[in-house]
Amino acid sequence: MTTKFGISFSTLEEEALTCGRCGYCRKSCPVYQVIGWESATPRGKITIAKDLFTKRKGKALTDEFVQRVAQCTLCGACANLCSTYIDTRQMWLELRKRIARMGKAPKGYNAIRQNLLANKNITKFSNDDRLEWAQDLDKEIEELKLKVGAEVCYFVGCVSAFFPRASQIPLAIVEIFMRSKIDFTTMGGEEWCCGFPLFAAGFVDDAGQFIGHNVAKLKELDIHSLVVSCPTCYHIWKHSSQEELAGYDLEVLHATEYLEQLVKGGRIELNELHEVVTYHDPCDLGRNSGIYNAPREIIISIPGVRFVELRHTRTDSLCCGGGGNLQSVDPESAAGIARIRTEEIKETGATILVSSCQQCEQMLSTAINDAGLAVRVMDISQLLLEVMA
Amino acid sequence: MRREALQQIKQKYGNRATDSRFECSLYSRDLASIPAFIVNPLFNTMPDLVVRPTSAEEVAEILKVVYTSDIPVTPRAGASTAYFGSIPIKGGVVIDLNLINGVVGLSETEMTVTTKAGTTWSDLDEYLNSKGFSSKSFPSSAPVATVGGWFCMKGYGIGSLKYGSLLSQVKAIEVVLPGGEIRRFFRDSEPPLDWFFASEGTLGVITEVELEVRKLNPMKHFLMPCPDVSEMAKILAAVKDAKIPPYNLHFADQQCVRRLHKLGFSPGQIEAGCLLAIDYEGTVEELTQAQEIMAALIMDHPKMGPLPEETAKTEWTEKFMALRLKRGGPSILGGEVWLPIRELVGYLADIQKMAARYNLEVLSYGHVVTPQHATIMTFFYADEKRTVDYILNFGLIKKIYDVGSRHCGYPYGVGLWNTPYIGRIFSPLRLADLRKRKKKLDPKGLMNPGKVYRWPFMMNPLHFGLAMGILAGLARLIGRGGRR
Repeated sequence: MTTKFGISFSTLEEEALTCGRCGYCRKSCPVYQVIGWESATPRGKITIAKDLFTKRKGKALTDEFVQRVAQCTLCGACANLCSTYIDTRQMWLELRKRIARMGKAPKGYNAIRQNLLANKNITKFSNDDRLEWAQDLDKEIEELKLKVGAEVCYFVGCVSAFFPRASQIPLAIVEIFMRSKIDFTTMGGEEWCCGFPLFAAGFVDDAGQFIGHNVAKLKELDIHSLVVSCPTCYHIWKHSSQEELAGYDLEVLHATEYLEQLVKGGRIELNELHEVVTYHDPCDLGRNSGIYNAPREIIISIPGVRFVELRHTRTDSLCCGGGGNLQSVDPESAAGIARIRTEEIKETGATILVSSCQQCEQMLSTAINDAGLAVRVMDISQLLLEVMA
Repeated sequence: MRREALQQIKQKYGNRATDSRFECSLYSRDLASIPAFIVNPLFNTMPDLVVRPTSAEEVAEILKVVYTSDIPVTPRAGASTAYFGSIPIKGGVVIDLNLINGVVGLSETEMTVTTKAGTTWSDLDEYLNSKGFSSKSFPSSAPVATVGGWFCMKGYGIGSLKYGSLLSQVKAIEVVLPGGEIRRFFRDSEPPLDWFFASEGTLGVITEVELEVRKLNPMKHFLMPCPDVSEMAKILAAVKDAKIPPYNLHFADQQCVRRLHKLGFSPGQIEAGCLLAIDYEGTVEELTQAQEIMAALIMDHPKMGPLPEETAKTEWTEKFMALRLKRGGPSILGGEVWLPIRELVGYLADIQKMAARYNLEVLSYGHVVTPQHATIMTFFYADEKRTVDYILNFGLIKKIYDVGSRHCGYPYGVGLWNTPYIGRIFSPLRLADLRKRKKKLDPKGLMNPGKVYRWPFMMNPLHFGLAMGILAGLARLIGRGGRR
């Protein structure tokens, strides 16, 4: 990853020294907005990291600092405003990696790791049950079983596969694929976690094993077009799997991109919908992957919809609080961040909030319910399925 | 009694107060990177307690407790200067004002906005823009600088050339005085609000500001490459004195332009010469006149054709990113000088002579903030990992200020590190007057002690000058001035 002007992350030490401590990052940091202490600001964390790694070679690492490094959603908003163009998201990942290597990772992270190594997914369920959600389909779908050489492979992701609320996303996507007569398959029980929770916890080597497995299986299936509905899985496939994919021809598309192609290609006809719709940019899809237009194009192509933007949108979009393993170490802050975003949703007067990330939808749905707002939270695939003729 | 008072605040404010060493250590820093072994023997920069009030009433409550117990207080908001202006030097309580934020109200008829002092200029402008208005001026660190913070500084920045200093735009302020009394001050109150302007948090805590706003107008941007400083100065003079003043007028010298190019940040890929950014805002008629002024100017200087407007617009959108030059570091050292514009050419020439003497790459950029004055940031690269060299280089900061002084300039802002220069910054009469104000409003001297009025003993101009002279001499002798 690079920031503005193509600047790449060099080393933690060099980047920490480059930080000017200007504090611009405070404005955009969702964690600082809810915690409020200087140590929760990106500049505060970098200041401590600089002292720790340029002067003390990692000695004197404190529990407080470990906690602050973990209190980050990896939303990348701080990099957007950084006056010295530091890829701060990479900085947080690097810090977590070093902390993990020093054996000081938070307990919650170790629990994530043990579970993933045992089950290959983020839940306690067996990975063989990855297609349980498909039982809610009207009929058995042959395409869900591993199929060599399918035109498209749909990578479901752990949350959508195992959590009932989120499983509405694969249900909608499969239904759309079926109606659009797409030749597709899934990786079934051979799909492992994308590896992001391990990456985000600092266990980079373990994450590499998960990536390696998924890439190998995909190659076995002779798949050359992958559709991913989880923005974080998408980000891993698009950016962190490139070494394993070197020399292999694979097009990786987020579901919004693929669905947009179906809509614009005339493979889907849309009914009218008379609602006020707003859209929340997931950080890993928008700011961290640059996909802003596809979901919007889908929404505005629905006849009758009045589309309204949130106050902070696209590159300036606010995080939902659900990223970066934050919930595993500080669920209260994660919920607080979702409440801030919910205030903006309220301002729009929208009756439907659309996003394209199961995690954002879960976080915002809870916050919207808690706030007593009459706003339906939908994934873009659910919205599309609802208006399909 | 001191411990009891601190405990009382800690208990009252719960998770909005902390005495954790981990947390407090971050409140002993600002932008300046100065080794602890230099700072710690001289000052106690570690707060005993940091508290985050949400209102003027809470600030008043805190001040009443600490003032009675003779505990020093340091207000802090964005902490975006490098002079230790918001860093305690005698421990005590730091009041973090960032929670006192948000717009109180906009009067479209009066063309004023009332805002809590901890609101950042970017947030204020975001609010005003959504209503069709804008701040008349703002600092070049608007994403972090707060309204109250900039009022406590000198208050000149982007927009000042057209609309004057922040002081001229402020109609009223709410201040919590050191003893805890909440007062509202106006231009004609007793004392007037200007007592608190540029007082750097030494007279009380500003909690609310009412200031004038302008209509949000369209803009027109120009970016002129100039072959050298003297040509740039001619254009600059012609532009600033024209019938329509620019909203913003900033410049970069040859060294700055070269370095921007080297780092890949150069607007328009300009490799040599100077750059002058000229930004107008106003009605369509005003912008038409501005366009005519620029067209005439370009006719008179055919070799200095402006860069494409899109490039000029990009330069405008990057206006808060001056620190990107730090990428050439890792560290930078330097100073900001308040300089008469008539001295600009001489100042920049003498800076380069100094740079040659010390084998340094010295860069300068600045903003024209009044028809007569500019603020100029002059700096050089350093490497704080090379501790000895880094400390020797401190002596060269004084050399920059000395060049400024020879050209009737002085440091912009005092804080702690510029107290040795207060004899240059203020006339004796002005300084005596400021000290009287301080004595009247803060007789115990507990509000942000050690700043503005007097230099701490170890930093008296004689000792300070001698020490800096030795450091600069050694830097020159050893020839490790920098990374030229």
